[in-house]
Formats: sequence, structure tokens, C-alpha cells
Amino acid sequence: MSKSEEYDVLVIGAGISGEEAALNLANQGYKILIVEKDLSVGGKMIHLSKVFPTLDCSACITTPKVSETARHPNITIYTYSEVSNIDKKSKYDFRALLTKHPRYVIEEACTGCQLCEEACPVTVQDQYQYDLVGRKAVYVPFSIANPRVAAIDIENCSLCGACEKVCPADCIDFTQEEEEIQIKVKSVVIATGFKLFDPTLIPRYGFGVFKNVVTAMQMERQLVPTRPYNNVLRPKDGKVPDNIAYVLCAGSRDETVGNPICSQVCCMYSIKQAQLLMGALPMADVTIYYLHIRSFGKGFNEFYQQSKDMGVTFIKGKIGKIEEIEEGNLKLRYEDIESGVVKEANHDMVVLSTGILANDGISSMFKDKLELDPFNYVMQKDILANPAQANIGGVYVAGTASGPMDIPDSILSAGAASAEIAGYLKEGEDHEK
Amino acid sequence: MGKTIDIIKKTRGVPDSVKENMKAFNKIKRQILKSLETEEKTVPQIAQEIDLPLDVVTYHLMTLQKYGNIEAGEVDDMDEFYFYKLKK
Ligand SMILES: Cc1cc2nc3c(=O)[nH]c(=O)nc-3n(C[C@H](O)[C@H](O)[C@H](O)COP(=O)(O)OP(=O)(O)OC[C@H]3O[C@@H](n4cnc5c(N)ncnc54)[C@H](O)[C@@H]3O)c2cc1C
Ligand code: SF4
Ligand code: SF4
Repeated sequence: MSKSEEYDVLVIGAGISGEEAALNLANQGYKILIVEKDLSVGGKMIHLSKVFPTLDCSACITTPKVSETARHPNITIYTYSEVSNIDKKSKYDFRALLTKHPRYVIEEACTGCQLCEEACPVTVQDQYQYDLVGRKAVYVPFSIANPRVAAIDIENCSLCGACEKVCPADCIDFTQEEEEIQIKVKSVVIATGFKLFDPTLIPRYGFGVFKNVVTAMQMERQLVPTRPYNNVLRPKDGKVPDNIAYVLCAGSRDETVGNPICSQVCCMYSIKQAQLLMGALPMADVTIYYLHIRSFGKGFNEFYQQSKDMGVTFIKGKIGKIEEIEEGNLKLRYEDIESGVVKEANHDMVVLSTGILANDGISSMFKDKLELDPFNYVMQKDILANPAQANIGGVYVAGTASGPMDIPDSILSAGAASAEIAGYLKEGEDHEK
Repeated sequence: MGKTIDIIKKTRGVPDSVKENMKAFNKIKRQILKSLETEEKTVPQIAQEIDLPLDVVTYHLMTLQKYGNIEAGEVDDMDEFYFYKLKK
């Protein structure tokens, strides 16, 4: 017989949107269950450098929120877990199946000392550094992970047993198995966020083939203090780049790759990175190739102007092709939109400002049909009156699970979701009286 | 707790790809560390000496830096390449 647990609200996804919605509701006394499929809470934001347009340190803003969520007496978090079979039996009665994947490490006992990592002989690409360096088969995901405990990547484990031998807390446990828990809740929040566009789908940009073509997420990692390298460097040869190009709308506003919409954040995060690069590499030239600059938010246009004043070059140009030339440098062939002329320019590193896409598999978690919009984001049934309400009564959406947006808008969206849920739960309580 | 590794070994094998990857990483690790025994070097210098592609050396060198085996020193006169040395 599997365990069963009961909460007021199930929050799926522990990025900034899920955390915000959970905290708002927990502070009103509701019992919240957060289910996060990754090894740590924090979503994408915990991996960012600084945030536009204020240039506040992303980790410094997000880690207090992560800790508050993890320590809140009304919040229970299951990481490395997923939910399925979400079944609405009646109003205020959802049943679901939670599956907790084995970490092969006793979470409560692990101190995060990383002695197991030192002993482990296996190295594979570190997904949290977007493959720029390696990690061990047993690993603490990243320095500010929460929970900051190790996990074993069993698919890549050589079963040598070294980790178990050295662990001072005796917490390596290869007997762990998948655990199933039956869940009963009154309401559900979908805060599953977004996935990044795969740039290999545009072969003419050469990502994966030309090593000095990187994604913006890889550049974010290069710009944080816990960076994969000792400075911003080219992955091909470790050279300090001095002429960096950004290609905006890589995989956004592009029918040919199946994503005709704007990703909302790429213009601004590219402008942010350009400013940070000028700080990190004072001698570097940064050029941004764009179709349109969408600096629509509060303080965004000033931020854009500031980057021009700092010396960032903006070229309204559509990139046709990227080629590798001598010494790992890159030749960009582009249509200069102002003049209509096809031009070429050489750079020593290219950053693809890859777009954001809806996550897969959200609707399959539900037994009832969860409606999606034409771009596979969760459909907002009544965007003006109840922006967080999905088509299934009692199910709400927060943040980028409903469409591309930045962090402030994700927080606002999570605020709307928690307010709507509080109203919904209150109505139920009043009814019971 | 007893050794749980022996229990999982009864039901799980180790794919060849895992063994090969482990061997390859440890071989390159040894080559890089040996190359740095004599003096500090840049990525292109190491790549030339051990005859491996530049990006392979960069990836492994940066991983060894992360693991604390090596550390970065000064950048060269052209401000292009850092020198890397063994961590004492
Ligand atoms: C390169 C880059 C730079 C950026 N820079 C900025 C910036 O400077 N300023 C700014 O405002 N915004 C920036 N953004 C946008 C910002 O990342 C998003 O606005 C924000 O992360 C959205 O948060 P979220 O919680 O909605 O989604 P996410 O951060 O994607 O979090 C979703 C969470 O849900 C989990 N999840 C997914 N599916 C499931 C499932 N089935 N079950 C359980 N859990 C699941 C995920 O693992 C993740 O933890 C940037 C984005 C990128 C790509
Ligand atoms: S599993 Fe053991 S050795 Fe590894 S970090 Fe945790 S306590 Fe340290
Ligand atoms: S048993 Fe697996 S995780 Fe543990 S040290 Fe060996 S290879 Fe690494």
C-alpha cells in the first residue's frame, strides 16, 4: 500500500513562480505541497547572473526566497519528483499520484560535504553549467542548490562503490527505489515554467559544431561568480574573447522552426549580458544583431539607451549563416535590414539568444483535458477577469507556464494565481460553514 | 549501514559507454596533469603537446580546475590566453 498525504494546494514546479504562489498561500495558513522534478528548487532564475534592468544579483534575490519556501512550516517540498493522474473527483477534491525518484542518497543525512564527489572516478557533462564543464556521477547539483545534498546519476555510475566507502555520514543508499505517494488536494497550480529552444534545430548557426557559438544561458553561466571557467572564455580554446556578437530571435518569431511568437525576454537579457560583458572584459566589442528591440517594460528603454552609451553596437540585421574561419573565429553573413545589402562581419564568439518554449507533457499530467493555447502554453480561460484560471475548475497557472515573460511579470502572475486560489478556497470554506 | 553497492550490483550492470567514458576522461586527465608538471601552460600549448583538439583540452582543463587539481595563473602578454598550473 503506498502512502497518502493531504494538502490544500498542489504547486507543480518550484521556479520563482511556484515559490511565489506557494509562499503567498502558505502565509495565509494554507497547507501547500510543492512538487519539483529537478534535484533543487529555484528554476531558471537561480542560474542567472544579474537581472535586467536593475542589474541586481539574481542568486542574491532568489536564494532568500528559496530558503523561505524550504523552511516555511506550511510548505512541504518534494524535489526530484513528478505528479501524474491528476483526477478531479469533485469540486475541492483532486487526487494525484506523486512519484519520488531515488537519489541513492539519504537526503536527511547528507551534509553536502562533497567527499563522495572527490572519490568518484566518473565525469560527465554538468547540466547545471550547460555542458561547459564536467561533474561527477555523484554530485551536489550546484553550490546554492536547495536541498544542498548529493544525488547519484545512476545511468552514468560505474558502481565502483567509492562514494559509499568515503561518505562520513553513511548516507549513500543504493537500495533506494522509486516511491509512490497518493495525494489529495483542493486546488492545483501549474508553475512548470518554460524550456529553452534547441539551437541545433537551426543548423546554419553552427551550434554544437563551432564551439565558439554558445547559447545565452551558457553566457549567463560564464557571467556568474560560480562560473565554469576562471573568466569569460571561448569554449574552443580558452581564449579571452574581444569581439562578441549576439544573434537575437534565435528560435523565436520564426515560423520555420515552429515558434512564431516573441520570447519577450531575449532582447533585454542580451542587452543585460552585453553590459555585464563590458564590465568583465573592458577591451571587448559587443555587437547585437536584431530584428526589432522590444524594450517595452518599466526602465527597459533607458536600459537599452544605457547600453548604447556604454558602446554596444546595434545592427538591424537578419543572420543568414555563421561559418567558422581561422583560429575558431566566426564569419556572420547577414542582411543589413536598413540598406537591404548582404554583408559579412567577423567575430571571435557568437551568443545565440535562444527563445523560450512551452514545456512538454503538462496536459498529460491531468485526467481531464487541460486546454493549451496554440503555442502549447496553458490556456488562460478568461484572461481579463481571472488570468490564472485554467479550463479545469480549481486548476490555476502561474508564470511562464502561461506564456513567455520575465521575472517581475512571473511574480505578478503568481500573485494573481494565489489571490484567485485564496478566493476559491475561501468560497469552499464559507460553503462548509 | 552495510555496503549497499553489492546489492545494486546484483540487478544492474555498467554499460560499456560508461566504462569507455571513464577511461577516456582519466587518460586525458593524466596527460594534462603530466603536461603541467614542468611549467605552466595555456590551452593551445597543452593541446599541441598532447595532440588533442583544443575544445577537448579546454573542457577537461576547466573540469580539472573545478575539481581543484589545477588553477589559473596570469594571462599572456597579448591578454588572450591564461596560463594554468598544478595546484599545490
Ligand atoms: C538566458 C536567460 C536570461 C534571463 N534573464 C532574465 C533577467 O535578467 N531578468 C528577468 O526578469 N528575466 C530573465 N529571464 C527570464 C526568467 O528566466 C523567467 O522569467 C523565469 O525564470 C520564469 O520563472 P518560472 O518559475 O515561471 O519558470 P522556470 O524558471 O522555468 O521554473 C519552472 C520550474 O518548474 C519545474 N518543472 C517543469 N516541469 C515540471 C513538472 N512536470 N513537474 C515538476 N516540476 C516541473 C522546473 O524544473 C523548474 O524548476 C531570462 C531567461 C533566460 C533564458
Ligand atoms: S553523500 Fe556523503 S559524502 Fe556525499 S555530500 Fe553527502 S554526506 Fe558528503
Ligand atoms: S559508485 Fe558510482 S557514484 Fe559512487 S563513486 Fe562510484 S561511480 Fe561514482
